[in-house]
Amino acid sequence: MANSLTDVFGAAAAVAKGMSVTLREMMSPTVTENYPDEPPKFQERFRGAHVLQRDENGLEKCVACFLCAAACPSNCIYIEAAENTELVRISGGERFAKTYNIDYNRCIFCGYCVEACPTDAITHGHGFEIASYNTSTLIYRKEDMLAAVPAGAKPPVVHEPAEAGAH
Amino acid sequence: MADPVTMTINGREIQAAPGTLVIEAARKNGIEIPSFCYYEGYSLQAACRMCLVEVEKAPKLMVACTLPVAPGMVVHTESQKVKDARKYTLEFLLTNHPLDCPVCDKGGECELQDMVFRYGAGESRFTEEKLHVQEQQWSPVVFYDGPRCILCFRCVRACNEGMGVGALGVVNRGSVSLIAPNHGDHLECDECGQCIDICPVGALTSGTYRYQTRPWEMEHTGTICTHCSNGCKTTLGVRNDKIIRGNNRDRSGINGEFLCVKGRYAFDFYDHPERLQSPMIRVNGKLEPVSWSKALKHVAEKFSEIKARNGKFGVIGSNHTTNEENFYLQKFVRQGLGSNNIDHKRTGDVVTLIDALSGTTGTLATTADLYEGKTFLILGADLAIEQPFLSFQIRASMRHHAAKVFVVTSKEVREDAYAKKSIRKAAGSEIEALEELREALAAESDLVIVFGSSVKGEAVRKLVAFGESLGKPVKYCALVDYSNSRGAVDMGLMAELHPGYHPSETPGMTLPEMLADETLDALWVINENPLEAAGLASDKAFVVVQDLFLTETAQRADVVLPSASAYEKNGTVTNVCGEIQRLQKAVTVMGTKPDLEIIGLIAKEMGLAPAMGPWVSETVYGEIRRSVKGYDIALPLVAMAAQQTAPVNGRVNVADKSALIQGAHETLFTSGTLGRYSKVLNSVIEKRAGMSLAAQEESHV
Ligand code: SF4
Ligand code: SF4
Ligand code: SF4
Ligand code: SF4
Ligand code: SF4
Ligand code: FES
Repeated sequence: MANSLTDVFGAAAAVAKGMSVTLREMMSPTVTENYPDEPPKFQERFRGAHVLQRDENGLEKCVACFLCAAACPSNCIYIEAAENTELVRISGGERFAKTYNIDYNRCIFCGYCVEACPTDAITHGHGFEIASYNTSTLIYRKEDMLAAVPAGAKPPVVHEPAEAGAH
Repeated sequence: MADPVTMTINGREIQAAPGTLVIEAARKNGIEIPSFCYYEGYSLQAACRMCLVEVEKAPKLMVACTLPVAPGMVVHTESQKVKDARKYTLEFLLTNHPLDCPVCDKGGECELQDMVFRYGAGESRFTEEKLHVQEQQWSPVVFYDGPRCILCFRCVRACNEGMGVGALGVVNRGSVSLIAPNHGDHLECDECGQCIDICPVGALTSGTYRYQTRPWEMEHTGTICTHCSNGCKTTLGVRNDKIIRGNNRDRSGINGEFLCVKGRYAFDFYDHPERLQSPMIRVNGKLEPVSWSKALKHVAEKFSEIKARNGKFGVIGSNHTTNEENFYLQKFVRQGLGSNNIDHKRTGDVVTLIDALSGTTGTLATTADLYEGKTFLILGADLAIEQPFLSFQIRASMRHHAAKVFVVTSKEVREDAYAKKSIRKAAGSEIEALEELREALAAESDLVIVFGSSVKGEAVRKLVAFGESLGKPVKYCALVDYSNSRGAVDMGLMAELHPGYHPSETPGMTLPEMLADETLDALWVINENPLEAAGLASDKAFVVVQDLFLTETAQRADVVLPSASAYEKNGTVTNVCGEIQRLQKAVTVMGTKPDLEIIGLIAKEMGLAPAMGPWVSETVYGEIRRSVKGYDIALPLVAMAAQQTAPVNGRVNVADKSALIQGAHETLFTSGTLGRYSKVLNSVIEKRAGMSLAAQEESHV
C-alpha cells in the first residue's frame, strides 16, 4: 500500500517538474522563427547575398579594381571596367564597373571578396532568398546588387548599357 | 679581354669583367639588387637610391648602379643597414605618392607596389597633405599622372636614347619636378608608347588600355606584328576574345621590349566596324551577303569553267599572309589552276641581292647584326620612319658600341642627327655617293648595308661589288615593306620565280601585266589592293577578293571572301632580314576564315583537294621545309626564337624585273589597308616633316 502511495506522489512530482519547464518556457520569448510568415532575424555578420554600396553622394563605391574577382576562390565575379567622364560619373574614382556580375551558382559566401575590397564597395547583405528553378537567374547583375541611393543625395547619372556584341 | 675582377657579394666570391657595374655583376649571379632608375641599355642616372648597398671599407652606403666592380671589393646587399635604407627610400618615394592602386592601371604589374611589398614599411609616418597635380592627356595614346611619377627618368632616356626622339623632359626642381612633353601640353613624337611601358609606376598610362582591365585578367598571346617588315614580336593581351593591348614586356623575340606605334596599338583594325564578316556575291550589280558554302561553290564553278576552256587567270598574293598561305596559294595556282600568272606587290630587290651575293655565306644581315655591327650604311631609306625597329637597333649599337652611321638619302632623315656623314642624293642614284664614302668605310672593321627600294637592279650589283672591294666583312639587307614581303618572295609569289628562287620555265604575267590585260578571264586577289592605284583593263574578268575590308579592289569583285588577319591565325612569317617567326592565333572574328583555309576549300570544291594536300599550316610548313631551300628549320625551333633562313646560295637566273619594285614608303602612322582602318593611327596628330630634328632640339635633359 505504502508503495502505491509513493508512486502517486512520485508521478505527481515528475509531472509538476515537467510542467514547470513548460510553464517557464511559455512565459519566456520564443526563439523559433516564424519564417516565411514573418521576416527572419539575422546575426549582424551573416554573410548573405552581396550589396554593392554607394557613398554619401550616391556614387558607386566600386572602382573596378578587380581585386574581389582576383580573391574569389570560386571565380564567380565578372567585371568590365570603364572610365568616368565629365558627363557620366558613376563612381568616386576614375573608373567604375560597367558590368559587375556575381554568379550565385558558384558563390560559396566565403567573404573573401568583401575582405579584398579596398573601397568597401562590396559587402555581404542579409539576402538569402535566392533559390531558383532556373540557374541563369542566379547570375546577378550590378543592378540587382546596388544599394539604393541614400536619401538627400543627388542621384548619379544613369549609365547607358554598353552595346551588345563585341564585334 | 681584360682579366676578370674577383670580388665578394654576400659572402659569395664572384667574377666580373672590369668596368661591370656592381648591380649587373650581382644580377648575373642571381643576387637581386632593387632599382628604379637603373635600366639596362640606357645611360646611368643614379636618381632613385633604391640600389644602395654596403661596401666594406666605404664610409657610407654606395649606389650599386653606378659603382664599377673592383678587385677584392666586399659587398653586402642584405645587411640590416641596406634593408633600412631601402625602407626609408621607399618611404620617401611614397610621401607624395597617391597610392590609388585600386584605380591605377599599373596595379598588379607595378614595380613600386612590388618593392614596397618586399622592402617597404607597413605604414607611413607622413601625415602632411600631398601635392596634387591634375592628370594630363598628352596624345591619344599617352596620359601622364604627375603625382604617381617617381622621377626615375626612364621615360626621358627611353625616348631620347632609345627612340632618338627626345620628346620628354623634366620641368621644375625638387618636390615639384614633373615630366613634360615637347609641345607644352601635348606630345609630337613617334607615339611608340615605349615610355609608358618602361615607366615603373602608373605615371604614364596608355590611352587605349586605360581602365580596361587588369593584367591578370588577360590571356597573353605572343605573336608577330603584322605591319612593317621588321617582324617585332608583340604580346597581345586578350580578354573575352578581344585584344586589349599589345606590348612585349618579357623582352622575348628579336625586338626585346621595342615596339613602334603600329605594333603596340594598331592591332585595332581587327575589330573595326567595317570589317567584313560574311562572304558576298555580286547579284544584279550589287554585292549581297551569302553563305560560305554558296560563295565557295560559286568561285569553284567559275574557276573550273575558266580552267576547262583554258582561260587566263591572274592571281595577286599578299605581303601580309603567312608563308604557308603563300606556298599553298602558288602551288594551287601553278598545279591546280595550271597558271603561272601569280605575283605580289614587290617592295624591295631581294632577288638581285641574293643573286649578286651568290657564292658567299653569312652576308645577309640579321636584325641582331644591326645591333652587333660597328658601321652602318643606310641607302635610300628613312629608316626611323619606315623601318622603326632596324633604326632602333642601330641607335642601340651607337650607344653601346660607338657604331658609326653613314647615310645616303634624298631627304633629311632622323639618322642625320647622329650620322658620321650624311649625303643627299636623288632617289635611284644613291650609289653614286659610294666612292665619296670609300675612304671612311675602308677604315672600319666591318659594315652592314641596308638599302631601300630605290636601290634596285644594276644598282644592287654595283653596291655588292663596292662592298666586296672594301675587303672586309660586309652584310646586306634589302629593305622590304610589309610583315611578310620577304616571305612572299621566298615562297614564289612571283611570275618568274618558284619557291626558293627557282626560275620558272614559263614565266607568267606580272601584276601590272595582269591588270593591263584586256583578255584576263579571272582575277584572284588575296589581301592586296591593286585597284587602289590602277584600273582593271579586262571588263569581263571574274574577280575574287579575299580581304578584311571592302577595299577598292573588293568593291570591283564578283565574290568577296572575308579573311582572317594575322592576329587570328597560326603560321609563320619571314621578316626583312629573312628571319622566320611564328604567328599565334589570339582571337577569332566571327564569319571570317584564314586565307589558307579559304584556298583549301576552293581547291576542295574544285575536286583538287587530294592533289593539294591538307590546308593545315603545320602540314604545309612541313612541305615548305622539304621543298624550299633555306627553310629546313624545325617548327619548335621557330616557336622558340626567330631563325634566319638561308636562301639559295647560287645564281638566280631570271630576267631583271626590278623595274616592278616600288616601295610603299609607309610611315610610322600608315600601313596600307590595315592602317586605314586603325583608329589609333588615324587619331595621332603627328606631322612627319622634320619632326626628328625639331624634337631633338627641344629635348634638354
Ligand atoms: S563570397 Fe567568396 S565565393 Fe562568393 S563572390 Fe565573394 S569571394 Fe567569391
Ligand atoms: S603606381 Fe603602383 S603604387 Fe602607385 S598607385 Fe599605381 S599601382 Fe599603386
Ligand atoms: S616617342 Fe613619344 S611615345 Fe615614344 S617614348 Fe617618346 S614620348 Fe613616348
Ligand atoms: S613618368 Fe614614369 S618613367 Fe618617367 S620619370 Fe616618372 S616614374 Fe619614371
Ligand atoms: S617596327 Fe614594324 S614590326 Fe615592329 S612594331 Fe613597328 S610596325 Fe610592327
Ligand atoms: S637604381 Fe641606383 S640610384 Fe636608382
